Amino acid sequence: MRDRYSICRAAELKSLAAFRDLIDAACQEHPDIGPQTCYDLKLAVDEACTNIVTHGYAGMNPGSILLALELERHQVVVTLTDFGHPFEPCEPPAPDLKAEPGDGMASGFGLFFIYQTMDGIRYRTAEDGNHLTFVKLLGGREWTSS
Amino acid sequence: MDIVVRQVGQASLVSVVGSVDALTAPQVADCLESQLGCGQTQLVLDLGQTVFLSSAGLHVILTILRKSRQKGGDLRLAAAQPGVEHVLRLAGVTGILETFSTTDEAVASLGRDRLDVGGYGQRTVE
Repeated sequence: MRDRYSICRAAELKSLAAFRDLIDAACQEHPDIGPQTCYDLKLAVDEACTNIVTHGYAGMNPGSILLALELERHQVVVTLTDFGHPFEPCEPPAPDLKAEPGDGMASGFGLFFIYQTMDGIRYRTAEDGNHLTFVKLLGGREWTSS
Repeated sequence: MDIVVRQVGQASLVSVVGSVDALTAPQVADCLESQLGCGQTQLVLDLGQTVFLSSAGLHVILTILRKSRQKGGDLRLAAAQPGVEHVLRLAGVTGILETFSTTDEAVASLGRDRLDVGGYGQRTVE
């Protein structure tokens, strides 16, 4: 079983499925990762990549996103690297469901979902790109079926 | 992702097969908007084969929920898989939007009672 997985794809919405597929493949090779943990990882990565595509490379030539997944004994560490505009994902308040659904609502929920599902979030900007790292602890509550 | 639409009684049953993310959510939105545009305001979104839903899909659901109620109709969700149900619970929408285990139950519920959710329409329980 591998413990490290990575892919690099164009920073476009068409790449979202490939990122989710990589996470699915990694989780299938590690039975200790339950379906809820797997879904949480896919959701967080999907939301973050959507933000990178939509905002990170706005006004720039299309770039790429590198997804790296490290499966450790008690946690999964996911790192997304891009080369667009820096955008530190600060934790938003819970979205107001009574507000008129607008364009901002989707991204508000996106960041909210990331913070609700991940146990640790770290962001840094360096010469070698913007690095967003999620940590998901293993062994938490899981669904009984997928 | 594929979308199948069929009429069941007074309801439009819209089945989404695959993943609803930022790429595919507009297709779902267009389909549901089209139903509303044709006067089909009683909508059931069948999520039985929806394997993934992100905030983009949630945004579509909330938008269509509001629009259908503004037109005197409603939107119900049916057969959500655990992952999608998890997203709906995280977002807190289960308090404003009725979900059912089967499409039959969801269709049967339309017109019987409606949710009062302050901003999303009136609810009167018979």
